[in-house]
Amino acid sequence: MSKAEMQKNIRNFSIIAHIDHGKSTLADRLLEATAAVAKRDMESQILDNMDLEKERGITIKARAVRLEYLHDDGEKYILNLIDTPGHVDFNYEVSRSLNACDGALLVVDATQGIEAQTLANAYLAVDADLEIVPVINKIDLPSANIEGVRHDIEEIIGIPAEDCPAVSAKTGLNINDVLKAVVEQVPAPKGDPDAPLKCLIFDSYYDSYLGVVVYVRVMDGTLHSGDRIKMMSNGIEFDVIDVGYMGAFGLNKQDSLSAGEVGYITASIKSVGDTRVGDTVTLASNPANEPLPGFKAVQPMVYAGIYPADGAKYGDLRDSLEKLQLNDAALVFEPETSVALGFGFRCGFLGLLHMEIIEERLEREFNLDLITTAPSVIYEVDLKGGERVRIDNPSNYPTADEIDVAYEPIVKASIITPTEYVGGLMDLCQDRRGNFIDMKYIDTTRVELHYELPLNEIIYDFFDALKSRSRGYASLDYELGDYVPSKLVKLDFLLNGEQVDALSFIVHEEKAYTRARRIAEKLKENIPRQLFEVPIQAAIGSKIIARETVKAMRKDVLAKCYGGDITRKKKLLEKQKEGKKKMRQLGSVQVSPEAFMAVLKLDDDN
Amino acid sequence: MITDADMKKSLGLYIHIPFCKRKCLYCDFCSVAGGNEELVERYAASLKTCLTQYAKMAEGYAVDTVYFGGGTPTLLPIGLMGEILDACFSNFDITRDAEITCETNPATASAEYLSTIRKFGINRLSIGLQSMMENELRALGRIHGREDFLRTFSDARKAGFDNISVDLMYGIPEQTMESFKDTIEKTVKLSPEHISAYCLKVEENTPFGRMGDKLILPDDDEASDMYEECVKSLARAGYSRYEISNFAREGRESKHNLRYWLGREYLGIGAAAHSYFGGERFAFSPNITAFANGEFSACEREKIDTEERMREQVMLRMRLQIGVNADEFESEFGIPFETRFSEIKRFIDSGHVAFDGKNYRFTDEGFFVSSYILSEILDFS
Repeated sequence: MSKAEMQKNIRNFSIIAHIDHGKSTLADRLLEATAAVAKRDMESQILDNMDLEKERGITIKARAVRLEYLHDDGEKYILNLIDTPGHVDFNYEVSRSLNACDGALLVVDATQGIEAQTLANAYLAVDADLEIVPVINKIDLPSANIEGVRHDIEEIIGIPAEDCPAVSAKTGLNINDVLKAVVEQVPAPKGDPDAPLKCLIFDSYYDSYLGVVVYVRVMDGTLHSGDRIKMMSNGIEFDVIDVGYMGAFGLNKQDSLSAGEVGYITASIKSVGDTRVGDTVTLASNPANEPLPGFKAVQPMVYAGIYPADGAKYGDLRDSLEKLQLNDAALVFEPETSVALGFGFRCGFLGLLHMEIIEERLEREFNLDLITTAPSVIYEVDLKGGERVRIDNPSNYPTADEIDVAYEPIVKASIITPTEYVGGLMDLCQDRRGNFIDMKYIDTTRVELHYELPLNEIIYDFFDALKSRSRGYASLDYELGDYVPSKLVKLDFLLNGEQVDALSFIVHEEKAYTRARRIAEKLKENIPRQLFEVPIQAAIGSKIIARETVKAMRKDVLAKCYGGDITRKKKLLEKQKEGKKKMRQLGSVQVSPEAFMAVLKLDDDN
Repeated sequence: MITDADMKKSLGLYIHIPFCKRKCLYCDFCSVAGGNEELVERYAASLKTCLTQYAKMAEGYAVDTVYFGGGTPTLLPIGLMGEILDACFSNFDITRDAEITCETNPATASAEYLSTIRKFGINRLSIGLQSMMENELRALGRIHGREDFLRTFSDARKAGFDNISVDLMYGIPEQTMESFKDTIEKTVKLSPEHISAYCLKVEENTPFGRMGDKLILPDDDEASDMYEECVKSLARAGYSRYEISNFAREGRESKHNLRYWLGREYLGIGAAAHSYFGGERFAFSPNITAFANGEFSACEREKIDTEERMREQVMLRMRLQIGVNADEFESEFGIPFETRFSEIKRFIDSGHVAFDGKNYRFTDEGFFVSSYILSEILDFS
């Protein structure tokens, strides 16, 4: 079979959906139906490799797999399913994955209808010029409204849905319709196998034996094992060891990959930092004239200090972060020191979910107890001297008299909600310093709200508040907007007259008082009583704006010992001493790591 | 004239009687409710056997304190009590002026019983009153009321007990400052020689421990206020605090309990009974049936080396009003106290510990947070 003939029988597609609409389950069924995975061998949801992904029911990193499908026309087709991350933190990665495809299955839950991410993903797919095939899922549920959802898809997204597959991924009902639709509606890839090589990197991961395994879609040209390749963003060259495709159970070697194909490259690459998603791989000997469009180096949006609860574990934490970075080019970190917390790292993340994932992986996979400071966005400040500085750590925030103008990042947020919750959600956005843009009725029961919101107002707990005010029905999507001038202040906390650097954060002037009071109260609740009275003060510069007091401890005494059991008394004292070793000394005040965390977590109130 | 007793080393004897009518809701000590007659008899027989065996170790010792603790020792049939006392007297060299204490609870011993044990040689009685308030006694799961206590107290006096201690508790359910004051006042009126006042500590494996948030107690501040009130009003009534929780008329301190705090030797006999003897701490298993079956092996054994003895001395003596004597400490251990436990300076500065040039001792502020301070001062290996 010639390369052109082969290309005719390839379909590259991904599945996009709002969270929980059944994307991963559908992927499982497709694998099963094409016998890539025998049912008995199948661990449920094979595409989500990490435990965490399974637990959270979301896909964090893109994966890809090749399916072989025998169509009604008697021809065999190669279907490359490229999975996409399902969270707004990973929007850029989603867009690159979609660019590797020619079509997308847009899964819509027949009981929920279209949600914010359904729309956002659909727009991304349209931007990437993909053929969109709607798939209505969960039709086995009694509350499924198939016709209503068909109507919505046509009205709201504007794509025909009259004959689209309606399936139950859970039971496997009508799964073959999906495969048929992929072959018949998703166009075959284009691209010239003889043109200079252009491969789009849409994912990569580090393997301790192979080095970095790079997932690519070949747009033009042909790549052979042994070729010398070049990364077009940075000019770094490598000798290709192997190329091949991704089977359900691992990598399968081939001699070459050519235009239209999806596959992997290994080339003894040491760091995923050299194989950035969105970059173009070309041949060193015959390079393409220009790279594929759309590459950008991802920038962290959220920063936080991560410290080992036990100071002696600093080295372990560094090793663990380095290991995670092997597989996660978006994670950045550098050492920092806090008077209160000792040695740790300032880490940058794509967003709050990304941060939580890293924290959980450090704790679970590397067995570390961590103290994480409040997440902060990056602020920009024009100093009076004319210089502009970027601030990712509140400790480095200039004093009021040094600042000319301060800027904070805003996001463009889109919220889809049933109409009855609009009032509450508008109040929420208003409270978070939101700037109302517009409101559109999707149908008679649902609206889409558009707001501009400061990123620092949504990184803590906005999503939870949104869910609680809409009984879980509202959905959110956002994209990063510009930096805008803002009246920001740095809020400091003093325990017993000494400033605790790890508690400082930057906040909008208007919010400073309420936030200061709330944290002072939380500190009071969480700081154990000490032998002396501990004043808690919140300050902006030298001005105290909130105050609480932890009363002195009055009772800590062992009761009587019966029958001269001195040993038990000793053990109790020893245990007490042990407990103290875990305490953090914040100035003259002892605080347990748990208490410290409790203060930093603000998501349980509002 | 020099007697044998003067030449001999001093020893205390503790005998554990782990039987109760009913277990109180806060109690996690080694005791069973409603032990059957047969078990009690076998247990008493084991005590006698064990006393005989331990007596061999105690050669060269004179016993000047004996303490029957429980449980409720006065639940022992009078005949068995007599046999055990007899085993003590016939196997050990018990001094003529020995302090021989028996614990009891109201409504567990008749006037006749008390009178008999007094004649057997028991000369000090420790009565578990806990509170004068009926509702508080009920809340604790005590089996007696105030009247029961008053009768027992009066019976004890009539039986010839001129050295009586009364146990009180504070920080207990339903208690208020007023009710606690009232309990103290009513107790003091009876003029016992000794009063112990313990703060309730909720232990895990007790009904109280299992009640969790449903158990409503005075908070730490209220309990501290009660303690302060207790120290003050007992001082006014002529009882001085000689240990964190113990108060006595002059010369009426519990000699046996002082052993524990002064690091002196004692042998404990019975289930869960602890000993400090020959440089070791050891204890019997808390398994009552096992003890009754004659299994006497020690379940924990710890050598107390010099380092450990230093730590213990701080931990134990600091519970006493007199505290640690700097000269004695240095001559015993060859190192100045403030060098060995340098952290103590911090607490002198903060006013929780006082040093008068001779003794280190807790101040009034220090006593009730003594565990916190001790855990800072002590360095466990």
